[in-house]
Amino acid sequence: MDVLNSNLNDWPLTRISRNREKLMEEIIIETISNFNKDYQKGGLIRDELAKTLYLERTRIKTEPWKVDPEDDFQFWSHVKNKLVKSDPSLEGKEVAQDIEQQLLKDIVTRYVHEITGYFDPRFFLFARQVLPMIFSRLLNASFGKITGIFKPKVLLKDKLFVTGPIERIKQLSQKGTIILVPTHFSNLDSVMVGYGMDMVGLGAFQYGAGLNLFNSSLFKFFMSNLGPYKLDRRKKNPVYLETLKTYSRTTILHGAPTLFFPGGTRSRAGNIEKNLKLGLLGTVMEAQRIHFERNPSTLAPKLFIVPLTISYHFVFEAGSLIEDHLRRTGKEQYITSDKGTSFLKNMSKFFFELFGATSDITLSLGEPMDVFGNICNDQGESIDKFGKVLDIRKYFESKGALKADDQREAEYTTLLGKILVDKFHENNVVYSSHVVAYVAFELLKRKFRKEDIYSLLRMPEEDRYIPYDEFVTAMRNIRERLYYLNNNQKLKLAFHMTKEVDEIIDHGIRNVGLYHAKKPLYKTKDGYISSEDLKLLLFYHNRMEGYGLANYV
Amino acid sequence: MASQITSKKNPIGVLGAGSFGTAIANLLAENGEVLLYTRRPEVVDRILHEKRNVGQVMNQHVIPTTDLEMLCARCYLIFPSIPSDGFREVMKNSSPFLRPDHLLIHCTKGFDIRLDEGMTLLDKKTKLKPADINTMSSVIIQETNVKRVGCLSGPNLSKEIAGGQPAATVIASHFDEVVREGTMAIRSKRFQAYGSKDLLGVELGGVLKNSMALSAGIVGGMGYGQNSMAFLISRGLSEIVRLGKALGAEPESFLGLAGIGDLIATCTSPLSRNYTVGYRLAQGETLDNIIATSTEVAEGIKTVSICKKLADSLDIRLPIISITYEILFNEMSVQEGLKYLMEYRKGSDIDFL
Repeated sequence: MDVLNSNLNDWPLTRISRNREKLMEEIIIETISNFNKDYQKGGLIRDELAKTLYLERTRIKTEPWKVDPEDDFQFWSHVKNKLVKSDPSLEGKEVAQDIEQQLLKDIVTRYVHEITGYFDPRFFLFARQVLPMIFSRLLNASFGKITGIFKPKVLLKDKLFVTGPIERIKQLSQKGTIILVPTHFSNLDSVMVGYGMDMVGLGAFQYGAGLNLFNSSLFKFFMSNLGPYKLDRRKKNPVYLETLKTYSRTTILHGAPTLFFPGGTRSRAGNIEKNLKLGLLGTVMEAQRIHFERNPSTLAPKLFIVPLTISYHFVFEAGSLIEDHLRRTGKEQYITSDKGTSFLKNMSKFFFELFGATSDITLSLGEPMDVFGNICNDQGESIDKFGKVLDIRKYFESKGALKADDQREAEYTTLLGKILVDKFHENNVVYSSHVVAYVAFELLKRKFRKEDIYSLLRMPEEDRYIPYDEFVTAMRNIRERLYYLNNNQKLKLAFHMTKEVDEIIDHGIRNVGLYHAKKPLYKTKDGYISSEDLKLLLFYHNRMEGYGLANYV
Repeated sequence: MASQITSKKNPIGVLGAGSFGTAIANLLAENGEVLLYTRRPEVVDRILHEKRNVGQVMNQHVIPTTDLEMLCARCYLIFPSIPSDGFREVMKNSSPFLRPDHLLIHCTKGFDIRLDEGMTLLDKKTKLKPADINTMSSVIIQETNVKRVGCLSGPNLSKEIAGGQPAATVIASHFDEVVREGTMAIRSKRFQAYGSKDLLGVELGGVLKNSMALSAGIVGGMGYGQNSMAFLISRGLSEIVRLGKALGAEPESFLGLAGIGDLIATCTSPLSRNYTVGYRLAQGETLDNIIATSTEVAEGIKTVSICKKLADSLDIRLPIISITYEILFNEMSVQEGLKYLMEYRKGSDIDFL
């Protein structure tokens, strides 16, 4: 596939996995030290442990998962007994402190073992062969052209496009560590991104996969050896969060190419993320500062942030995501519609639809940047907005001395988050399906301008008709504006967006939410545009939010 | 205790030797060496030889210079104090010399407005969206590589500071480090400095109050007393808060020194240019006549226009600002304006927090 293929054993993830035990030891020591730094001063360790214990026991009672270890309850009972017995007023301060430190070590060790991922290069090679074959097999089945498992007609690589400065990113991956930050719409994102990056020769990335995904045996089988570390969103206790951050920072410092979804979870409303979760992104900022602390400026390894916008014509979880969003915004009572369909079932159906139609997926890579958002050239140098090389080490300096300043770095991370949101929008490859959904929903909104969004969503089907002429006019206006934004690098247009308006409309309607039983958009026999499911239409419409397009419809 | 930054090794920089820049330089010089930048060599000469500038006696630790590069190389902490009209240009000129480790705290109360070609701010047809205006901290971010920015704002009339009277100010920044270094550098026995994280709120407080100074002049010119003035200031504050909030500021910031503090100082200082414009309007002069006979255009005229246009685009109702705008630009008489205000239906007193 690429030059990287030949030296799989030298990949950073392979190297790190080889020294897995040592790495875990380092993370445990580092986490305990950070935790003590934060809390020991105020004598708060005991309080934080008690809080952790309380939250963990609540989790076990209210939200147990299949993937949870069998001894979960015993372990936390043990922590409880120890903590109760170590009351400083009874045992004396020193004994109590010793017990607290031992408990802290036990808990951190348990978490580090849970979180730490594993990357097996042999398994990676196996998966690289097998996964696309399964996908392609599904494709040919969907066409009814079973040609034998080894001779698929259409390949996954024909459906998945990776665009952007791939060569530069490859070069920089040799000079520093790539931190890939994609938008997040679907549970399949990590699989798609992982496959896409390998396809263009960027190798494997470690990423935080939700622990819940490991409830599925298929996912567990494939993914356990492919580099993901495990993230448990139920655990919000201070010890876990500190461990997770230390894990992320330490592996980045060891050079692990890392993938973060800075949106945190999948976009509920279907829009490109606006508010990023900055916790893990903050560890990237810290890691860059630590590199500068440990090395002279010119030799310090650099972290290269690469934003990535994923474009799908359809998101298989769209229905449950938008319902979740509407429920959260809280104006209507919804019945939970997430039926907990299995990962395998979802995945099969997804690929079946993907291959069975003209649909495709684009992974649009942005230009690599330093942690301050300056674009990096082929040599890895930061180029400021005036086109000059900039020494970013100085951002971590105060009066000539480099030193850590948590508050300063948190602020830098906030600024980086804002830049990423802009880049997500700029790199977004706009599909016909996004545009038709946007225009249709905006027209309906205008038609019923007195109604709030919730009443609009309950509108009976016969009121949802949009005359075709009206739709074409609006599409023409929007397309003009999209061309303007495209020319000004505010977004990118898919190739099919350059066709005639009628063709774009046909293409868009055919593809929008292709997967769903109820069509978000369709053409009636008597020439109207209508929708069978307004919530889905809203979901796909939201994809085009953030460009100020409403006035151009 | 003075910070390390104020030691002889790292002087503090001030850009702009106008009346406020000079006053700030003198305040900073009480704690250590200060480099004061001016582009005019004659100002440097005057300070060196006469030990005075813009009517103020210069502290001996203030060293005037026209060398921007040298100033940026020697100072980590710099206070730009340039009028808003020329601010962007000075930042562009400084940009090649400014590094990522500089801390910049500006002292400029004004907006940088970007209008389409041929449009002017005073033109009735000109529309303004929040995106068209920049505060000075945004200008610094746009024109330089400096990220650690802040602002200094409060009831700080240069003449009173120069006269050695006690006063206080706010230093605002998203960065604790900037607030810490700024307050340490400027605090003295006669000058107190408070910190804030709401950079935008503190910046807006300093700008938006100018519109109220003009209205205060009208109240003064009508010969009204303290009840009316208090009415104006309190309701004016509520308008400033509503506009500030809509622009993204924290409402609380307007309740501090840089908000209500500055508003009181500005509205009750009869010598300010803004107040004078309002006063003369109330005495029956026309705006054209006032502008024609003034050496400088009062900032407040521009600010009223900006506030009105922003309020229109944000769809918020600001009766005092709207009436002042009508009096200034649409020939509404002062009496008519007052009548309108008194008849304006208003709900509760505090509706802006």
